[in-house]
Amino acid sequence: MSVLLRLYRSEMRLFLRESQVLVFVIGFPVITVLVLGGVFGTDTNDSGFEFINPSHFYVAAYFGVVLSAIGLLMVPVRVAGYREQGVLRRYDTAGFPRWVFPTVQYLCGVTFALVSFGVLLLAAQFGGDGVPELSDAPATLLGIALGTLAFVSLGVALGMFYPSARAASGFGLTLFFPMFLLAGGGPPPEALTDTMRSIAAWMPLTHVIRAAQEPWLDIGDGQDHLVKVVGILVISTVVWLVRSRQVSRAL
Amino acid sequence: MNTHQPVLTIQGLQKRYGQATVVDDLNLRVEQGEIFGILGTNGAGKTTSVECAQGLRKPDAGTVRVLGHDPIAERSALRGRVGSQLQDSQLPDRLRVGEAIRLFADTSTQADRALERWKLKPLARAPFGSLSGGQRQRLFLALALLNNPELVFLDELTQGLDPDARRSVWKLIHEVRDAGATIVLVTHFMEEAEALCDRVTVMSQGRALATGTPDELIDTYGVGTRVRFTSTALDVEWCSRIPGVVQATQSGSDVEVVGAPTIVARLGHGLVERGMGDVPLRVAPSSLEDALQTILSAEEVAA
Repeated sequence: MSVLLRLYRSEMRLFLRESQVLVFVIGFPVITVLVLGGVFGTDTNDSGFEFINPSHFYVAAYFGVVLSAIGLLMVPVRVAGYREQGVLRRYDTAGFPRWVFPTVQYLCGVTFALVSFGVLLLAAQFGGDGVPELSDAPATLLGIALGTLAFVSLGVALGMFYPSARAASGFGLTLFFPMFLLAGGGPPPEALTDTMRSIAAWMPLTHVIRAAQEPWLDIGDGQDHLVKVVGILVISTVVWLVRSRQVSRAL
Repeated sequence: MNTHQPVLTIQGLQKRYGQATVVDDLNLRVEQGEIFGILGTNGAGKTTSVECAQGLRKPDAGTVRVLGHDPIAERSALRGRVGSQLQDSQLPDRLRVGEAIRLFADTSTQADRALERWKLKPLARAPFGSLSGGQRQRLFLALALLNNPELVFLDELTQGLDPDARRSVWKLIHEVRDAGATIVLVTHFMEEAEALCDRVTVMSQGRALATGTPDELIDTYGVGTRVRFTSTALDVEWCSRIPGVVQATQSGSDVEVVGAPTIVARLGHGLVERGMGDVPLRVAPSSLEDALQTILSAEEVAA
């Protein structure tokens, strides 16, 4: 079995043993989307939800919430923890190629995203008001795919800077909740103040959510947001590549 | 032992962290099949030197060759040929022992054999975070030796182990060497170096001060054999006249005689002649620790 496959299996097992990962990546989005769907109902005349059934509005937004849990908590806590404990040094001296560990983080991030998306859709279908139809399937799927890569990349990049797993967890939660609340997972955008909306416009999660939500619900083409998602992907990838060279020189 | 094919050569190695020079013009040559010890005080540059040889740190100057390869530029050529046990390096707390072995082993046969060989089978399902210090070191040793490497770096392997566990690990290290591996052992336990190493080098402030077999260093730098006994006789001047005695001192009834190993028999003979044949002698041969102290003291004086 190749090193890549062995490490992927090992990392997946370890992620499944982390309660924080299971709670924030799978449990929290599912519970919250059902609660918010129940609170705001199915009225399609609300301008706050751009005249979309609120339950559907949130289902299309919560893919982004899953990704923010992966990119702000799951991946950076793992990367920072391994640097702190010297696990990466051990992999290095065992002869694991240096590209394997970040690649495995991508693979694990994508796997968790797919599983969580699946659970989210099942919960919406059977516990909520159903899954909205994809108005523009290719654009929606492209938005979700690039958003997933962008946030896993962001997670690896953040993990390269945090000094410890504890710091990664603390900073991650500090970033996660404001993003979750302001970028589309909390109150409807119309309920936010102008300042909050301005802040939300700068949040990566806003663009990841809108890049998929707009073509999905036919409330826009999401292209402007998609460009920004690609920007996040490119910048975070360059940052972690540069940083990983610095880190590996001082493993 | 093949003495013509060095497994590790370090020439003129220099490594700086900012303004501090941690390794300064270090030269080493480790031959195939030997256990080579790197000794020194904390901060002597032992671990940094080994990390340069492992390819974890880039030297600022000098050359390092491991099995004939540059450990950084030709890293892939050394994959699977070098095993490492690192100081201050852990595994994920929730990773189980069996999973760790399978993660690092090239084949499942090797993994099963390692679990058996290192008596880790009963611990196979135990998470790393729950292991005792001795169990962790046994696991690290198993991981370092998983794929039958030709060269093994062991950095402070027995730190934190009780004496029994330490001796068990020594036995394992001997077995590994007997199986054909070359071992570079970083330690600050002199007893360990004396028990295990074929040759050692003493480092201080990034430089190698002395290199040789433990016996050579003891002979050259050791303070000599110490013999202590209790005597009520007022005059022990005769002790200093024994051939080979360097120093004889008396403090109250306690007498200490220092000199060549041959003084023990002569001193015993002298005591019998003086009717003190029943006096118990406490003999302490010169140790590597004595030699190290002499080397480091000379370095301090020179500095």
